[in-house]
Amino acid sequence: MRSYLHIKGKNLWKLCALVVLGIALACCGEQITSVDQPATATVGSVVPITVHCDIPTVGDGGPDYLIFGFLVPKGWKAAQNTTITYTSKQGNGTMSLIPDGTLPKKGDGLTWSAYMKKTFGNGGNLIDDMEWVAYQTDKAYSHTGGVEFIVDLNIKTKVGADNNNMLVKLGYTITDSGNGFTSDGNGTYYSVLLGNTCFEVTGGSGDLVDFCNPQLTTIDPPKSLDNDFVTLTFDGTVTDTQLSGASEVYLCATAYTSDGKTIKVCEQTTKTLLKQTTATSKKYQLTFWPRSFFNAGDTQTITRMEYFLTDKTGKVKVGYGNTDAPFTYTFKCG
Amino acid sequence: MKYNYKAKWFYLLLIAVFMMTVSSCKTEKIVPGSEAPKDIAGNWRVIKATRNGTDLTSIIDFSQFRISFTDKGYTLVNKLPFLVSKDGAFALDDPQYPFKITFTATGDKPVSTAFTYPIVNGKRQLSITFSPGCTNNTYVYVLEKAN
Repeated sequence: MRSYLHIKGKNLWKLCALVVLGIALACCGEQITSVDQPATATVGSVVPITVHCDIPTVGDGGPDYLIFGFLVPKGWKAAQNTTITYTSKQGNGTMSLIPDGTLPKKGDGLTWSAYMKKTFGNGGNLIDDMEWVAYQTDKAYSHTGGVEFIVDLNIKTKVGADNNNMLVKLGYTITDSGNGFTSDGNGTYYSVLLGNTCFEVTGGSGDLVDFCNPQLTTIDPPKSLDNDFVTLTFDGTVTDTQLSGASEVYLCATAYTSDGKTIKVCEQTTKTLLKQTTATSKKYQLTFWPRSFFNAGDTQTITRMEYFLTDKTGKVKVGYGNTDAPFTYTFKCG
Repeated sequence: MKYNYKAKWFYLLLIAVFMMTVSSCKTEKIVPGSEAPKDIAGNWRVIKATRNGTDLTSIIDFSQFRISFTDKGYTLVNKLPFLVSKDGAFALDDPQYPFKITFTATGDKPVSTAFTYPIVNGKRQLSITFSPGCTNNTYVYVLEKAN
């Protein structure tokens, strides 16, 4: 019987070469191999973070700049408080902020920051108060030549410009200016590493902002003043509380004003009623204008509030972390 | 024969279409009319409100809130977060094609904001964008004249 699989020596070499080339092409994207990041830091300290990257250049194209995205809380004002340099066998240099006018080729008109946010979102953080800060290298590199760049990005960032203690998942992404966050037959041209562990900032005088763990209550917008509309959400799915199964949940709050006064609103009326978003969601919401809710005077500013959630009788109270302590919220923008 | 019959009709139709096309082009005389100055005097109520893109219309009671514009001044009734919190004077940057509205609350500095003035379903609307609290929080109120 004649064999149809009849490969001569010469053809075998060709086939092998093709397979090897195929594998090389399929894995030619930029890769973040690991990140060295401390677990904690104090407010105002400069934290060193190293992002180890592997950038093979099999294929063709370029020259392109290496793009780096850093996912951080907005309150850190990272764009002003961060410096990044890179080191590699082929040379060292610096990375600088990408101006908003420099748009990614494949970002559909979005800025690099917005393109990152659209692609990777908040990186597993539960509060939408994060931003992707985009950087690019001072030099471009070509995708030809088969050189493998082993690059370390050395970040120095001052944490906690907003003076808040927090738990947050930092994120990192790399790509090149030519391809952006795309994949094709030759591979994936980007790499992203979103935090599995929570980075902790301590020593601040502000509220603890926990991006990592689901909270019993959240306030939207996360940064607001007494002259905003704020939406308070009580999430009964986070843990069982004394209010589990309650048909109605009410807000019991105390406002602290700039002139040293306190205003308490603790009643069980339509004014303080949190409505369940859907019949079975166990999420209750109240949107209010703090100035009017607390009836603040024209010259008074509400600086912070403490609050509990109560049932219809007002006797059952749930506080921060399902304890007797109140939830706290500071009205500020930074 | 049948083929010719069809072709005749086709040519007739073609000529008809051609005639219609030609006759449809008529030179219009453009009258250089002047755009009427925008008069926003009256009582306005909120018909739609958003905060950072989230619709607030159904979760906040806007029904009592009114902005009343007179010739040069405005008054707020049943106040809600707005560009200004006190009554005062207002001005449009261009009375014919306004893009900006400036409120000057009595005793305060003037504040300006983006402003559009479309006609929707035959009714004038005022769309005002502003940040009464943190500058990162953007609100849009769409106002319509209250009866």
